[in-house]
Amino acid sequence: MIKIFGLEYFKIRRKKIWIMITLFLAAEMMWAFLSTSMSIARNSDHAVWESIIFSIASMNGLFMPIISAIVVSRICDMEHKGATWKMLVATNVSRGRLYAAKYLCANSLLLYGILAQTGLMIAFGLIKDFPGAPPVEWLIRFIGGTMLATLAVTALQQWISLAVKNQAFALCLGMLGGFIGMTAGLFPTSVRHLLIWSYYFDLSPVTFQYAETASSYMTQPTSSMLVAAALGMIVLFYIAGNIQVNRQEI
Amino acid sequence: MTGLELIIRMSDAAIVQTKSLTKTYGDKNRVNKVDLHVEEGEIYGFLGPNGAGKTTTLKMLLGLIKPSEGAIKIFGESLSKNRPSILRRTGSLIESPSYYGHLTGLENMRVMQRLRSVPDRNIDEALRIVRLENHKNKKAEQYSLGMKQRLGIAMALLAFPKLLILDEPTNGLDPAGIGEIRELIKLLPARYGMTILLSSHLLTEIEQMATSVGIISEGNLMFQGKLDSLRAKGRSTICVKTGDNLTSNRLLLAQGYSPIQSGNQLEFDYLEDDDVAEINRLLVTHGIPVIRIGERSKNLEDIFLELTGKERSL
Repeated sequence: MIKIFGLEYFKIRRKKIWIMITLFLAAEMMWAFLSTSMSIARNSDHAVWESIIFSIASMNGLFMPIISAIVVSRICDMEHKGATWKMLVATNVSRGRLYAAKYLCANSLLLYGILAQTGLMIAFGLIKDFPGAPPVEWLIRFIGGTMLATLAVTALQQWISLAVKNQAFALCLGMLGGFIGMTAGLFPTSVRHLLIWSYYFDLSPVTFQYAETASSYMTQPTSSMLVAAALGMIVLFYIAGNIQVNRQEI
Repeated sequence: MTGLELIIRMSDAAIVQTKSLTKTYGDKNRVNKVDLHVEEGEIYGFLGPNGAGKTTTLKMLLGLIKPSEGAIKIFGESLSKNRPSILRRTGSLIESPSYYGHLTGLENMRVMQRLRSVPDRNIDEALRIVRLENHKNKKAEQYSLGMKQRLGIAMALLAFPKLLILDEPTNGLDPAGIGEIRELIKLLPARYGMTILLSSHLLTEIEQMATSVGIISEGNLMFQGKLDSLRAKGRSTICVKTGDNLTSNRLLLAQGYSPIQSGNQLEFDYLEDDDVAEINRLLVTHGIPVIRIGERSKNLEDIFLELTGKERSL
């Protein structure tokens, strides 16, 4: 398995996936830092760790589905382009292992992005001199929540990217997911919880309480029901994709 | 098994053996009860018109598609039960060559090397065999079609497998390239102890490489056997051109012969010399001018066309 996983990394050389993730995240972080800085300038009460965690978590709803779609598509599309899936399957490697290796590869790349985000958030907080030390527990919950949502989104994306040769479908799904993730707060809770892209926001340790007089950041506990739902979606999308790709005739 | 002619040879030395192999799409059998038999050390030419079911059959041998019916044994082992072990000893090139365009030729070989767990020297040897060693550092997407085909063959050869399955291996190659690949394929069984199963829609290609041949048409295996036994089927026909073919036909039918009107002449399946003399005498004594009597040998192409359906485009 490790050999096949390493092979995925070997195959994505010159695909510039690292650079692409970095550039996308740079754009997101710049946007988040600028908006948080402006918010702090208007209201100094917002100069707290919660503000940047909330800002990044809500922007992840827009950016992460798109980044995930692109990363997964790049990893899967090379097999379609060079008709290499049949070559791989005609060796003594099982389709299940190939599928798992791709999934691990995509998610390890995205984990790099999430960890980079976390590091930049800490740097931003220190530069802005937020009170107190970096909130380790919140940051761990941020990483865990974002990764959980990402694992489900990439499972869905990989299913589509491998099952449908035309990657426009997978990329459109990613963009649709980004739109849903961005507007998740506008949906009723019951609907929102059916849409995995809203989980970037829902699994964030910080939320924002809107009030007529004074709005404020609030911590929210991690809902075990949401975690279970996300895990369920991961298993469902992964198994469904794996079964379809395994049964697909080449 | 259906078909005009079929020779089934059974032997314990079979490297590939299928029994009633069938693949159905909808209500149509793309491959219909095919019993392949490839012996060790053979170059088996799998011949058939486009769309006859060659690639579908080869894909089933590699487990890329599941048969609707039938059984496959490779190296004497059931493919459904021992697929990984069988594929470890099998190299293949199916349809178009498979490659990662953004990687160099050498990197493509390295991908296969990791999957096959073979030493570096195999890469050098395989690239040398297909004469790509000077282009190994070029990206595969910059290769010509012929070079991509060679790379595909090199990747199939990498582990120097016991069985090599090549689907139309000379597609896209120029005449010089075709000649090189042909010579390469011919030397592999002797040099590396390989058995080769290759498909083609070109009779001349198979004729120059194969030791055994299987002819498939519309999913049915029409012939299987040594190339020599196929050639032996090429018995001559006797053609007689007369001044009145209609009367001649009637006369000869009445005398127990079986002429077939073919263009402006009558054609007979192989006849002994005495019969030819008798036909000539009959026609002359009935006042029918005999313009020409000729003997026509069937070549492999005629036999192939006869087996797969005359006048059909390949």
